[in-house]
Amino acid sequence: MPAANGSMAPLLTVESLMVRYPPRHFGGTRAAVTALDGVSFSVLAGTTLALVGASGSGKSTLALCLACLGRPTAGKILLEGRELTALTESQLRAVRPKIQLVFQDPSGSLNPRLTALEIVTEPFEVQGRFTEAERYERAGALFERVGLSLDMGPRAASEFSGGQRQRLAIARALALEPRLLILDEALSALDASVQAQIANLLLDLQRASGLTYVFITHDLAMAARLGDEIAVLERGRIVERGAPGDVLDQPAHVAMRALMAAAPRWNAPTKDQAGE
Amino acid sequence: MTRYVLRRAVHAAFLLLGVSLLTFLFSALAPGRYFDEMKMNPQIAPETIAALRAQYGVDQPLPMRYARWLDGLVRGDLGFSFAYNAPVGPMLRVRAANTLLLTTIAMLFAWGFALPLGIWSAEREGRWPDHLVTAATAALFIVPDLVLALGLLLFAVHSGWFPAGGMAAVGAESLSWTARGRDYVLHLALPVAALVLGTCPMLVRHVRAAILDVLDSGFIRAARGHGISRRRLLFCYALRAATNPLLSLFGLSLGTLLSGSLIIEVVMSWPGLGPFLLEAILARDLYVVIGGVLLSTVFLVGGNLAADLLLYWADPRIRAERV
Amino acid sequence: MKLPRNLRAWITVLVAMHAVIACAGFFAPYDPAEQDREHPYAPPSAIHFRDASGSVHSRPFVYTLRLEAGSVDHYEEDTLASSPIEFFVTGARYRLLGIVPCSRHLFGAGGTRVALLGTDGYGRDQFSRLLWGGQISLLAGLVATALALTCGLLVGATAGFRGGWTDEILMRLAELFLALPWLYLLFAVRAFLPLTVSPLEAFFLVAGVVGMVGWARPARLVRGVVLSAKERDFVRAARGFGASGIYILRRHILPQTASVLLTQAAILAPQFVLAEVTLSFLGLGVPEPAPSWGNLLANLQQYSVLTSYWWMLIPALALTPFFLGYLGLASALQRWADPSKMEAVGPGAWR
Repeated sequence: MPAANGSMAPLLTVESLMVRYPPRHFGGTRAAVTALDGVSFSVLAGTTLALVGASGSGKSTLALCLACLGRPTAGKILLEGRELTALTESQLRAVRPKIQLVFQDPSGSLNPRLTALEIVTEPFEVQGRFTEAERYERAGALFERVGLSLDMGPRAASEFSGGQRQRLAIARALALEPRLLILDEALSALDASVQAQIANLLLDLQRASGLTYVFITHDLAMAARLGDEIAVLERGRIVERGAPGDVLDQPAHVAMRALMAAAPRWNAPTKDQAGE
Repeated sequence: MTRYVLRRAVHAAFLLLGVSLLTFLFSALAPGRYFDEMKMNPQIAPETIAALRAQYGVDQPLPMRYARWLDGLVRGDLGFSFAYNAPVGPMLRVRAANTLLLTTIAMLFAWGFALPLGIWSAEREGRWPDHLVTAATAALFIVPDLVLALGLLLFAVHSGWFPAGGMAAVGAESLSWTARGRDYVLHLALPVAALVLGTCPMLVRHVRAAILDVLDSGFIRAARGHGISRRRLLFCYALRAATNPLLSLFGLSLGTLLSGSLIIEVVMSWPGLGPFLLEAILARDLYVVIGGVLLSTVFLVGGNLAADLLLYWADPRIRAERV
Repeated sequence: MKLPRNLRAWITVLVAMHAVIACAGFFAPYDPAEQDREHPYAPPSAIHFRDASGSVHSRPFVYTLRLEAGSVDHYEEDTLASSPIEFFVTGARYRLLGIVPCSRHLFGAGGTRVALLGTDGYGRDQFSRLLWGGQISLLAGLVATALALTCGLLVGATAGFRGGWTDEILMRLAELFLALPWLYLLFAVRAFLPLTVSPLEAFFLVAGVVGMVGWARPARLVRGVVLSAKERDFVRAARGFGASGIYILRRHILPQTASVLLTQAAILAPQFVLAEVTLSFLGLGVPEPAPSWGNLLANLQQYSVLTSYWWMLIPALALTPFFLGYLGLASALQRWADPSKMEAVGPGAWR
């Protein structure tokens, strides 16, 4: 769904983002580490940018920066034209509902001692919105949207399966009606079939509500499936960018080719077919 | 190598400095009252008190007093004992030597028993020898050092085999070498026994746990797969790998032993730091208390430093860490 | 919340033992300060069912004691004067749990004193003093534990949550406290506080000193829990909603510290009771005439007492069942919190 006023201005713009950890001498030495080295990109509303990279490429750092959970050393992040990196913490609090994170590890991203209902209504509690009854109602609606039933509400998070927990995590992320969802390896810990289900859920939600996704992953197949655009991250820099078809068919950069070579080829001929 | 040694030594020095500051700060909790209580002691003349107040600058601000004391410490002057009317240093030295003697011997015996017992128990995990050792250590664990000391003392009195306290019999100097040696050993026996009985249970438990941990690891199982004999496996492989936790345990056990020695020395009249410190507290002898506490810390920190250095030498992973 | 069987068992045992001590007034036949100068150092009363003439009574009784001719501390029984032991007798007034005035005692012997554990130099009943002394020693230990854990929680949570310099300074401070052997540290702190204090002041002093000295280890443990909890994704998610530090601490992090604190409580409580006993034994704790397990043992330092009056040693054994109970509780708690852990009670936890 295009932006309401018809303009094609990007929802999210990142300009020359740099994250650098200074060297530590006191209590154990560590050299300076550059996690992100001048990353720039933009994402149009209602679309998905798939960020692909191997471990150590800076993906997680980028996810945290985008969600304003870590201060970059340099660079800007603009949401709907507003510069987030220049805001103070209290100003940021009003903006936070617009960007939400969904994490990889379902058992780490939900507090195992809380019930599903408590988890989904936590955003309301933190932001101090709505009455008890309203929260319950909204929780019900959220559950429905992600394909869970409300009678699962009183169950502790630890009692859910991996796929259900991710649905719960997505429901929680949707609670404050964000415009941008950052999915940091959100499907990587799930079984193949469950992955497909959740991927479909995400696509449905995007179609229905016009959500924008930044989908961070190391899985090329998923990136190609979900992304309107693919960007490849290596050692803190974006080394390749383009539409999925282009990037996958004509990989220019070494890193991309390495990723592709490493990915399992399900369409390649099987062993017996190849006559080995 | 020297960098590591230097680092640990500096760390130890900072610890000692910090502890000295801490003890000095404690003493600042009631400075005036301290000297007031001294005034009530008829043995100390009022002029002495006044002179001491001036000398130690009790009326001066705390940082100055600390600096003064520290300055004296560097020169080897540990302060002045009000109760004994003598410098603290020499007296503490004698007492500390006695405590060191007791704790070193106890440490040797404790580890001498605990290490084989722990290994033996770990090797036979789940079988009756293991259960026996676990039950015995649990039973001993529960008995506090105080009770152990009292019990042993009672045993000494009733059996007559051992002297009931003290370090040497009266007139021991006049005995022949062998008789004197025997006298020393007899006097040492019970305090050492009390200390050993007090620390062994904890040691055995942890040695057993450390060995079990190592025996469970992958490389030991691989070695068994190669057909290496049990004995060789245990001593050449497992024990080596357990050096790290065991050396750390050494540092920990030293602390336990020192605290235990305090109470055992008092109960069994062993002339070490313990009874001396207690006396000093009851007599409000400020500098003896500070000196005694600091000395005990020196032992503990020193012991830990030695363990750290041994660990460095024994564990290649630490050498590779470039700390 | 369903607790495992063994945990419930240990809790029951400990609660029962503490209940007996808490109701010391009822279980003890006499007031702990009540002296009987005519019967100093009397041995434990012999309870008879059969009298001198050989007939058996259904109700146990004791004979009145009198000093043997020409002796100062040997007693003989006066077989003509027997007093049956009665139950639920009326005796000295006391306050049950410190509040309710009562005068019923579990047992007593009308005409004479029945001293189950003998008497001390002033003729005071050791059994009564043991029970009342338990109140002081146990309570001091428990108060000290509460103090040390509260302090440790505050320091550990602050250090873990704020990190940076706060963390560095607080942990160095903890390291200092742990660099001293614990008894020496205790001495150092006690040394500079007033020596002669009333029993009530002494109680708070001892509890305060012991608690103040013992915060370092719990603080380190709490810090560890807070550090790992801080890195969990659900905390990040909460920050993503704009949660303040306090909310996160309250909702997500502090509940995780509960199990660590509980286990530490079970480990530290007996250690702190022992600290009070040690201090009182050495004359640095609760003074006479208030009874404490420590000062009940204090006169054993006199050679004559140690050798001649064996029953004076019995209070030393009072600690043992409590230690056993707390050790069992600590093991059960650790196994409940983390079933994968084989070894209960970590290094250096006890002394």
